[in-house]
Amino acid sequence: MKSECSSISKLLEKYFDQEVTPKERSLVEGHLPDCPACRMALDSMQNLRILIKSPVEEAVEKENFPWVWEKIEKGIQRKERLGLWDFLKSWLDGTPLLKRKILIPAVAAAVILILITAPLLFKKTTSYPTLSVVEYVESETYNVMVYELETPQVTVIWLFEGPEEESSTS
Amino acid sequence: MRRKASFFVILILLLSPFFGDVAFAQVQVRVRVMEASNVGSGFDSSLRDLHDQLGSLFSFSSYRLLKDEKVSLSLNQSVLLSIPPERSLELTLINQRRVTAEIRVKITRGGRELLTTLVRLAPGRSVSIGGPKRGEGTIIIALSRVQ
Amino acid sequence: MDVNEAQLISRCQQGDQEALKEIFNQYHQKVYRIAYGVVRQREEALDIVQEVFIKLFRSIRQFQGKSRFYTYLYRMTMNTAIDHTRKMKKVPSFSMDEEEGFQLSDDAERRPDRILDHKELEARVKWAMDQLSPDQKAVLIFREVEGFSYQEIAEATGSSIGTVMSRLHYGRKKVQELLKDYLEGGR
Repeated sequence: MKSECSSISKLLEKYFDQEVTPKERSLVEGHLPDCPACRMALDSMQNLRILIKSPVEEAVEKENFPWVWEKIEKGIQRKERLGLWDFLKSWLDGTPLLKRKILIPAVAAAVILILITAPLLFKKTTSYPTLSVVEYVESETYNVMVYELETPQVTVIWLFEGPEEESSTS
Repeated sequence: MRRKASFFVILILLLSPFFGDVAFAQVQVRVRVMEASNVGSGFDSSLRDLHDQLGSLFSFSSYRLLKDEKVSLSLNQSVLLSIPPERSLELTLINQRRVTAEIRVKITRGGRELLTTLVRLAPGRSVSIGGPKRGEGTIIIALSRVQ
Repeated sequence: MDVNEAQLISRCQQGDQEALKEIFNQYHQKVYRIAYGVVRQREEALDIVQEVFIKLFRSIRQFQGKSRFYTYLYRMTMNTAIDHTRKMKKVPSFSMDEEEGFQLSDDAERRPDRILDHKELEARVKWAMDQLSPDQKAVLIFREVEGFSYQEIAEATGSSIGTVMSRLHYGRKKVQELLKDYLEGGR
């Protein structure tokens, strides 16, 4: 009986994971009714599975993934912008335009050009100044997330309540 | 030296209209407080203009209007409103530029400041503050400019 | 891989973010399951989901279709989640989180018949899982949370079935030992 148990116990995990061959399955199932130790080992594996899996199932069930996709989009854009900025930096470092004698007259010329063309640009455009809608948010009570979309034009300040606020809410 | 100084003076004079404050008598703001939840379904008709915005952000099945008020804000004068659950909303017009009005928004409870934010409201753009729970629902406050 | 998925991947490889969004819609829950299985904390798991899809978009050109797409994605998820735990590594304890500072007292240890609060048990399971090597943890999560076959686990972890079985065996044994009070009718 003992040697049978030790050989069957090697198959128990495979049996539990449904990875046994039909022959192995019938060996294990033939042994189990007479072996409380092997049955207990299977129960223990099952309990462990529940302990590991249940919290994950619960978490997934109640999760609505707020703004996850939007954050991914922003993350992709941020990485693309960073790549561009590094390129610009390396280009600026090397350019002779940054020499003083050329820089000041160049900037002055650019400003004059803008002043001349700005009235024409402002006439045509109907867009509002692109300042951020939310200047700042302060809260000692909430964790805060600010979310802005251009289409449709919407800004949301979302407050995540801590346990203190949750329990005091009517 | 004189030439440099006069150049900068002219530059400042030419640029000043773009940064100068435009004084308006008052700014009208619409404050709507709603309860969003997944209990039942329905979209309050008074929130119709926010339908696309709310729908694009949230997956609540029901939006119920609790309060709808229009307030007139004058520079540096605060307006106080009570909002559920047991909170107060204070709006103060801090500044007004060409088209945007800078408004300080404070939410307090029992005299304690829960949130302070400075938002820029332009016609056509709303700002929503949401998150506090009220029973099964979540409170969302939508602020928008009234033309 | 079905035709639709192959087309999505191809579009994604050409920089089409809409294709990535469709892949996200299809897989984000599964990615979250694996991430949560590793870190057992909502915000961290959501951060991992974001990171995975950003990484996916940048690296998908390297996917040549030699393995199944979902095993490629899940391997990326597992590696990202385990990297996260390395960065956030805390001293092993029963404390649930920094803010609450909850700790299981010695008295509780001496009373296996005590009915534990859900959160305490979660903390204990997280602690036990954190004692495993990354390889053992990965295999255990793929098996117990995702229900992967040994073959699928082998593909997702880049190892042989024999190695998978060995890691699973020793991983289970270790966690069972650490949680024996709760597994032997103590729950």
